[in-house]
Amino acid sequence: MSKELIRLRNLCMAYDDELVLDHLNLYINDQEFLTLLGPSGCGKTTTLRIIGGFATPTSGDVLFDGVRMNDVPPHRRQINTVFQKYALFPHLNVFENIAFGLRMQRRPDPQDPRRKLKLPETEIRARVEEMLEVISLKGFENRRPDALSGGQQQRVAIARALVNRPKVLLLDEPLGALDLKLRKDMQIELKRIQQQVGITFIYVTHDQEEALSMSDTIVVMDKGTIQQIGTPEDIYNEPKNAFVADFIGESNIIDGIMVQDHLVQMYGRQFPCLDSGFAPGEPVDVVIRPEDIDIVPVEQGQLTGTVTSVTFKGLQYDIIVDFRGFKWLIQTTDHSPVDARIGIKLDPDSIHIMKKSQYSGMFGDYSSFSEEYEELDEVGEESGDEE
Amino acid sequence: MKKQNRLGSRLLVGLMFLFLYAPILLLIIFSFNQGDSSAVWQGFSLHWYASLFKNRLIMESVYVTLLVSLLATVISTVAGTFAAIGLYSLRRRHREALMTVNNIPMMNADIVTGVSLCLFFVAFFQLWGRFARWCNGAQDLFELPERLVLGFGTLLLAHIAFNIPYVILNVAPKLRQMDRNLMNAAQDLGCTWLQAFYKVMLPEIKPGIVSGALIAFTMSIDDFIISYFTAGSASSTLAMTIYGMTKKRVTPEINAISTLLFVTVLLLLTITNLREARQERQASQRSPRRSALWEKLNASPAWRQARRAGTGILACGLAIALLLLGRATASQDVVNVCSWGEYIDTELIDQFEAETGIRVNYQTAESNETLYSLLKSGGADYDVIVPSDYMIAQLIEEGMLGELDYSQIPNFSLVDQRFRNLSYDPENKYTVPYAWGTLGIIYNTSMVDEEITSWEVLYDDRYAGDVLLINNSRDAIGEALFYLGYSPNTDDEAEIREAYELVAGANSRGVFQGRVMDEIYQKMEGGNAAISTYYAGDYLSMLENNEDLAFVIPEEGSNWFVDAMCVLKDAPHYDAAMAWINFIASTEANLANMDYIGYASANREALEQYPAYYEELYEEPLDPELYEIMVTPPEILERCEAYLNLSPATRSLYNALWTQLGI
Repeated sequence: MSKELIRLRNLCMAYDDELVLDHLNLYINDQEFLTLLGPSGCGKTTTLRIIGGFATPTSGDVLFDGVRMNDVPPHRRQINTVFQKYALFPHLNVFENIAFGLRMQRRPDPQDPRRKLKLPETEIRARVEEMLEVISLKGFENRRPDALSGGQQQRVAIARALVNRPKVLLLDEPLGALDLKLRKDMQIELKRIQQQVGITFIYVTHDQEEALSMSDTIVVMDKGTIQQIGTPEDIYNEPKNAFVADFIGESNIIDGIMVQDHLVQMYGRQFPCLDSGFAPGEPVDVVIRPEDIDIVPVEQGQLTGTVTSVTFKGLQYDIIVDFRGFKWLIQTTDHSPVDARIGIKLDPDSIHIMKKSQYSGMFGDYSSFSEEYEELDEVGEESGDEE
Repeated sequence: MKKQNRLGSRLLVGLMFLFLYAPILLLIIFSFNQGDSSAVWQGFSLHWYASLFKNRLIMESVYVTLLVSLLATVISTVAGTFAAIGLYSLRRRHREALMTVNNIPMMNADIVTGVSLCLFFVAFFQLWGRFARWCNGAQDLFELPERLVLGFGTLLLAHIAFNIPYVILNVAPKLRQMDRNLMNAAQDLGCTWLQAFYKVMLPEIKPGIVSGALIAFTMSIDDFIISYFTAGSASSTLAMTIYGMTKKRVTPEINAISTLLFVTVLLLLTITNLREARQERQASQRSPRRSALWEKLNASPAWRQARRAGTGILACGLAIALLLLGRATASQDVVNVCSWGEYIDTELIDQFEAETGIRVNYQTAESNETLYSLLKSGGADYDVIVPSDYMIAQLIEEGMLGELDYSQIPNFSLVDQRFRNLSYDPENKYTVPYAWGTLGIIYNTSMVDEEITSWEVLYDDRYAGDVLLINNSRDAIGEALFYLGYSPNTDDEAEIREAYELVAGANSRGVFQGRVMDEIYQKMEGGNAAISTYYAGDYLSMLENNEDLAFVIPEEGSNWFVDAMCVLKDAPHYDAAMAWINFIASTEANLANMDYIGYASANREALEQYPAYYEELYEEPLDPELYEIMVTPPEILERCEAYLNLSPATRSLYNALWTQLGI
């Protein structure tokens, strides 16, 4: 499980003097489900294309099992890709789409190793049928891609890649074109397939929820650099900076000053916390997740504020509370009316302290909070680029 | 009210289509006419189509047209497809700029494209000549040809050049529609770029490639103007040959070949449009409407193999057919001849080729003046040309003709003494006469009551609106000079101006119906004009279609002219040229030509034998009066005068006056 398979060393990529990847370093283990997560233009698709061989890095190395791969063309790599919008071959039916890679394969003749043989038709048939089983599309062999639903096309695309038994499968926003319900089903399906075939998946997405629910490791990227690498729990609970905290889940990010280990000061008050290792008096970013905040009567509250808006979300209410001009998002099961004064209480383990970074002050205020915040349309990332 | 409106608009549409298609319909109908009139229906017949396939000039140009169109289509389709793929991988801004550049040649006037290509080729040839001379002088290892000329190669290049934009235009949208990741996906699954191109991109963009190829083929078949400027002397396409044939008159043979050309182009365009319609339907239906059987057939490897084999056999067959056609027309020895349209019995060419094994590349020019400019531009590599007397004098003066080797032309001894050592070639070193004739008045006896004897009728108000003025300054002013009693070769400006005033005066009084050249045929045969002036040989052709026409050489005298065969200086096939000239100078060839073109020969034996020859051929005696018109008797010929080469000053005076005349 922990054997290293791919290493990216000082990877840089520039298009027309614009730096898309800036000295990227990353290793990927065998059988790992690794997700490259970040907003449009963060360089995640470029990274994937470099691993797949569709782009050559401006500088730096791509190593596969310790061997430098920079100049190996895509068809010589033991890597297959599931593309955005699937890229199924429209002129071939489902069977031939899946069989495409097998028909291209050559293996040495056992009698005469100098000669290369095509795979026997029986083997091709067997392997394609096996894949059809895996993706539950038996009986669809003779359909053309345009006669399939989006989810079915998606599964054919995965089968077409997996049938070649690659060591690594690259997935470029594979669920981007599906609707929400289907997307959730396919997340589970993908994870199941990965566990079943037991190979490395490198998955690109801008959807943090997708990343959290499927990955072994998440790599958060922005502006061509890696912001944080870690397990989904690490990334969520211990974000390294304001960017990660904001991008993964919802966060209130407040300016604070570290008084001493386990004690942080904000709004002029001191709060006990679990973090240590900061210099006394060091300015820091304090992250408080909206679901970790307890609402208490005003007189018991460590802080008091005014409710400015309330949204019913089913499981909970999203309420925006104004604390001395800085707006917090609080998720609570208790209803508080607009304009009500409320107090809050913060447990030490609900407070997470981060060092100041270039992102400090850019996120965390919910004064411009709107209903659409989660539905921000980021589909089509880099698809408009001419590359 | 509404109903009427609809009727009105239908009527309008009907009229519009009638206007668009009536001329073509008329042409098609008359291509099946038994007689050779293009105005009177004389019964259904296919014999014009039959004679078409026997006409070697036409068949040869059909071969050239097919070969150039097919080659240009194949090459431009490949080049255009890859160009489109290149364009497609560019950034959008660059791609759109380049697409605009690509579209300009299609919008550009053909004539501009043609002329500029011609200039480009000629300029390149000159540079090449310099380079080749330097190269050949500097080393002895190999020898580069120093003189390149316009020909099949340049024609092909020109066609490729104007076809490529059409291919790009058809392929580019298919590439745009294609998922950009398809090629990546194929490479990801183990294809090299080329394999991915064949297995994935090609099937995706094939509809665009095929329609591009079809359009390119249609454009190639269709093209006249660009070919006209780039084909040079050695090859001519079908459109060019038709154009050359119409110089004299529109024969039903032209109707027939035009009909075939129209049907071919119509067929190609219909196929292209049907394909496009089907693709649109498929695109809108999502799933292709193909029968299960078709799917099943395509899934079976045997059928796929059979289909592939079928395509292969078809392609091989086509290539072999073209090669055979090419073999039939290509042989080692060649002679390039440039003459006038409808000015030879084409069977003579076959006969010469059969006898000598020399291939005759027979081309036609429009007039002495176009021939002259063609020679001057250096774009032509003719061996034998057949200019008229005054042009011969000018060419000799400018040192453009080569001396003939009369020892290789024993038939020159048959040329009547009267036609040797004429003013244009006093020592007879450069020429062998081809044919001669006279200019005279042709009039319709059912429209003119008197017997015409003088040029005067041309300027006579009694015939206002019924007279056709010949559209050629030398003849038109020459006629007036004859009438006024001056020489047609005068350099005296006052005399020329006086003659001009005579013509201009009649013109301002509305005597002339128009200024025409070959239209004279239609007008006189159809009785649309009463009086015109033209050449005796042509009169004889017109007489076959209208018995009321009469011909007279006016008493004031007229022009008589000789067209003679000459060889250009440095002719590349000198000996073959001598053989050709000797062959055409033979009595048999002269008899055949006299019968075919209606002009008199200079061959003494042919002149004597023609009446007997005619009687044997048509089983009726030759009307002596007609023979006198064809072969002007000496006493009338005495009144006639040949044109001499005018001084440059006089020539520009003619040009200035002629432009001033207007009409």
